[in-house]
Amino acid sequence: MVYRVYVEKKNEFAHEAGSLLSDIKNFLGIKSVEKVRLINRYDVENIEQALFEKCINTVFSEPQLDNTSKTLDKDAANAVFAVEFLPGQFDQRADSASQCIQIISQGDRPLVRTAKVYLVYGNVSDEELAQIKKYVINPVESREASLDEVKTLVTEYDVPTTVETLDGFTKLSEKELSDFVSSYGLAMDLDDIKFCQSYFIKEQRDPTITEIRMIDTYWSDHCRHTTFLTTIDSVKFEDEILQKAYDRYIDTRKELGRTKPQNLMDIGTIAAKYLKATGKLSKLDESEEINACTVKIKVDVEGEQQDWLLLFKNETHNHPTEIEPFGGAATCIGGAIRDPLSGRSYVYAAMRVTGAADPTKPIEETMEGKLPQKKIVTTAAAGYSSYGNQIGLATGMVDELYHDGYAAKRMEIGAVIAAAPAENVRREVPEDGDIVILLGGRTGRDGCGGATGSSKSHTLESLEKSGAEVQKGNAPEERKLQRLFRNKEASLLIKRCNDFGAGGVSVAIGELADGLEINLNAVPKKYDGLDGTELAISESQERMAVVVQAKDAEKFMQLAASENLEATIVATVKAEPRLVMKWNGKNICDISREFLNSNGAEKHIDIAPAKVEEFAKCIPDDFVSGYKALVSDLNVCSKQGLSERFDSTIGAGTVVMPFGGKNQKTPIQAMINKVSVEKQHTDTVSYMAWGYNPYISEKSPYHGAYLAVLESVCKLVASGACFEDVYLTFQEYFEKPKKDAARWGKPMAALLGALEAQLDYEVAAIGGKDSMSGSFENIDVPPTLVSFAVTTGKTSDVVTPEFKKAGHKVVLVCPQYNENGLPVKESQTKIFDDVTTLMRNGKVAAAYTPTYGGIAEAVLKMALGNGIGFEYNADNMCNKAIFDYCYGAFVLELTEDMDVGITIGYTTEEKCIVRAGEKISLDELLGVYEDKLEKVYPYNIKCEEKRNSCI
Amino acid sequence: MKKFILIISSAKKKEIPAFEYKTDKVASAKIGIAKPKVLIPVFPGTNCEFDTAKAFADGGAEPEIFVIRNLTASAIQESVSEFASKLAKSQIVFIPGGFSGGDEPEGSAKFITAFFRNAAIKDATHELLKNRDGLMGGICNGFQALIKLGLVPYGEIIDTDENCPTLTFNTIGRHQSMIVRTRICSNNSPWLQNVNVGDIINVPISHGEGRFVAPDALIKKLAENGQIATQYVDLAGKPTANVHFNPNDSYYAIEGITSPDGRVLGKMGHSERIGNGLYQNVPGNYTIGMFSSAVKYFNI
Repeated sequence: MVYRVYVEKKNEFAHEAGSLLSDIKNFLGIKSVEKVRLINRYDVENIEQALFEKCINTVFSEPQLDNTSKTLDKDAANAVFAVEFLPGQFDQRADSASQCIQIISQGDRPLVRTAKVYLVYGNVSDEELAQIKKYVINPVESREASLDEVKTLVTEYDVPTTVETLDGFTKLSEKELSDFVSSYGLAMDLDDIKFCQSYFIKEQRDPTITEIRMIDTYWSDHCRHTTFLTTIDSVKFEDEILQKAYDRYIDTRKELGRTKPQNLMDIGTIAAKYLKATGKLSKLDESEEINACTVKIKVDVEGEQQDWLLLFKNETHNHPTEIEPFGGAATCIGGAIRDPLSGRSYVYAAMRVTGAADPTKPIEETMEGKLPQKKIVTTAAAGYSSYGNQIGLATGMVDELYHDGYAAKRMEIGAVIAAAPAENVRREVPEDGDIVILLGGRTGRDGCGGATGSSKSHTLESLEKSGAEVQKGNAPEERKLQRLFRNKEASLLIKRCNDFGAGGVSVAIGELADGLEINLNAVPKKYDGLDGTELAISESQERMAVVVQAKDAEKFMQLAASENLEATIVATVKAEPRLVMKWNGKNICDISREFLNSNGAEKHIDIAPAKVEEFAKCIPDDFVSGYKALVSDLNVCSKQGLSERFDSTIGAGTVVMPFGGKNQKTPIQAMINKVSVEKQHTDTVSYMAWGYNPYISEKSPYHGAYLAVLESVCKLVASGACFEDVYLTFQEYFEKPKKDAARWGKPMAALLGALEAQLDYEVAAIGGKDSMSGSFENIDVPPTLVSFAVTTGKTSDVVTPEFKKAGHKVVLVCPQYNENGLPVKESQTKIFDDVTTLMRNGKVAAAYTPTYGGIAEAVLKMALGNGIGFEYNADNMCNKAIFDYCYGAFVLELTEDMDVGITIGYTTEEKCIVRAGEKISLDELLGVYEDKLEKVYPYNIKCEEKRNSCI
Repeated sequence: MKKFILIISSAKKKEIPAFEYKTDKVASAKIGIAKPKVLIPVFPGTNCEFDTAKAFADGGAEPEIFVIRNLTASAIQESVSEFASKLAKSQIVFIPGGFSGGDEPEGSAKFITAFFRNAAIKDATHELLKNRDGLMGGICNGFQALIKLGLVPYGEIIDTDENCPTLTFNTIGRHQSMIVRTRICSNNSPWLQNVNVGDIINVPISHGEGRFVAPDALIKKLAENGQIATQYVDLAGKPTANVHFNPNDSYYAIEGITSPDGRVLGKMGHSERIGNGLYQNVPGNYTIGMFSSAVKYFNI
């Protein structure tokens, strides 16, 4: 028997319906709709009627807020439809309802299915109704549901027993192999499949479909960076500057004696190798196990200097977020967390940097086959924050970059920072007889093809066909993993650990050891009916695989159970270097490690980067109108409505709030958190900052990357960090390079720029992540290299950016620039030292390093926090000086009148920004600044106090 | 000796009154304990237990984190009986913040309330509060649980109805995270003995469902009883409906309330997120001292 109940918010609390109505009227432009009602529908099976009745007011509704009914009250609605998740999508609402009921019954979990019923009032045409449905139903995750009653929620599955062996594969002709790739929708190319064929000819058998799918996943760009590992056969430059940078790369290779092929990966990682060889990276923690960037640090724990590991990691989820923003962004942060977590560290802070096209544009301008930008940016923010807030890490910095190129594909980056006492981490090479335990989430069909899907070309059809490729996150499950891994007793049993990124069991477990025997029948499933291939390649969120000694397995399983976590033994480590997977008594995969690790056929490319273009900023003629234009620039305006939906204080370690000053309006430039020490106290902090300007990079990826590195480092220094022991990690995001020499030139030029910056400042990228599929039809994302800089320090050294007091002198400390428009490195490093010295001597009240909006933006943002005005020094601050780029420089509010740098002006009581009689009030600027994205990210809503009648 | 003062003068049209209630008769414990035991349950989705335990330890208590397990029916039964027996040996039970059950189905704290409505847990909770002079508290998700159980403002677990207060979605329609200023409205609680009525305390908030709603008549009664603990105030120290200061649009800018005798406290602001060197760019006083105040209650 299936019981059904409808739950609707009372009028006063029906905000969700209200905001949908507003979207329909204002965003979709459908004026005929007068009212919308939203009703949650719950179907429950395997439950006693009495219990169901009891749950109506306690689980499904709350009498203070909701009305409930057993039948749908359609009233006089002109249209009624219901929406449900696609089968197999994780539905947190249904899952929680089921868990709540079980807590009450203390019996078995009932089946719960939810749907949302929409009642539309007003004279809507069929076409308008279709538009509304299109707006609320994203076909990759949900569908229209029937309004009828259902007899049962139980789904009968066909239970498959075997997987197909591809008879005749080894005999296919080249043409047939090519057809094979397209008919099976593989991400690999013809060379790879030929390489596969030759392997199976040697093995004297035909492969199973499981093996082909698994190899395809293993060799996907997502898992193996095939683009970055493509051998560069030749390069041709048109600019001396790029040629010189390339020569420097070649010289560095020579110095290191490197003879391996040149490729983008080599350019991206050679700085770290070089700096390590020259003894500059002594604090780097290296092991065979690759979880995340790891650095050895000292943490002051109540006066004791302890050895800790600091881990950090950045991750993108561009493709999933583009097609299903909520789940895509949620699993972005979920995945980013699991990397350092698999390194047995506790993740305590996160940063989010995203890229979008203008979200204020009307819906009619949305490209065919795309979701509207407004829907993407808001739903992704909801998804990421939902996950991050639930798991409980402080998201201390959130920013969004706007550039038309991101209409091709969204950029969704999460970066996290974590730490653990060094003594809690054991790292050992797995041995014959060790046990692999699977922890956490179960396998479903929703995770099939995540890796290969994101590496495939994105075309018009994606929105329809990618259905099975999106996943929802389940943060409470990951939180349990966080708790378990923080427990030293559990952590010390783990010899090696891998998280389940894309690729599922085959990759996550497959990477743990060279020789493995995996029992796929043991892998816990969300539902029946999965075949061996799906069990092997379906990725799953919130899941980890750990290797323990056989004798420790039981203890580890107990500790997992005490954290309410499911743990299952699924594999054994073997001496022979082969990946074997058994299912229903048969070996459905049996492949040599050497072949898998080859990463497929070697790829080759010739590269010819385009000429470097001018990237100078357009300078306004008029001071006042220039300022007004600046504050309404999407890349300068307030993002507070976006940022404040992220929990920024959990962990009790937030040293600086995202927005400072008594008004909480000055955005910080670096995220600063105490290193998370569970039971004791510390004053050791970690800093993290990012740098990148798409408008420089689109003209010159070389300059863009160089300045991205510099910007990220300057932000650390501006926030009080010392310029030593700074580490970087990069996020590269480029158009699909295809076979085009010029397109390949963009990532190459960017990596050369980043390489020069690393060598100049002796800071290394010790990690990074690349995404090389930022294209849609004929538009491309701008060449993107975001640099994240990380270091540590003390709470007492922190300097914050908001102006503190009127009457203070404000100076600019600025490096010299070379003929290429980049700072002279000696001058820049001297400035770092000078600024830090001034700070340590207590001379700096506030500091800010100018970025996209130059000094003008710096001064404005510093002014807003405490509502302190500013008067420019008219003698030297012309419009160009104020509005131009000024990378590498620092704007400092001094605590006393000293002779430092260039005096750019003074802070004032009067809440205005002034230059020689030209004046604009801060309030006026603030109005424009905050209004720009108000309709996308509400921040300034008016709440009327109507409730003062009784007292 | 109870004094009840309402600042009527500020209650101009469109202005929210600032509640004030001062008493020198605050509930006291009958049996002294040097280091009271604090039981901190962790539900699927709870995430403030580490911070809460640390704040209690710093305040002089002995916190114990207890994970509620629900993978199987037998795990639930074990959790229930173990929690009930631990509760019987504790002096304080504190429900930490988080997103139990992901704030689903559509509304916060339902998982926690389902747990506390279990007969064994309910009895142990009532025994603690009614017969053993114990304390109970909840922040954020914990406050949501307390109010939905009736523990605030009624002091016991009841079947709530439409006339009960509750916490619902922020009017802005999304999660809010920032520092807010709260003004102490009453000292009628063992949790509030380290502050004075009228003190303004900065506190981080982070929630999607913090909007306190209740019928006017009930709010009046709570004010008269000194059960309104704190209100959100602006830079001038006045209770306000301005969303930058009253982040969820709470009725009468109410941030926290207590049970009639003040032994149960629920509040939205994360008073456990404290420490030296934090929030350096938002000036103000962050010390509410509620955890050490609770310990002091047992130090007789």
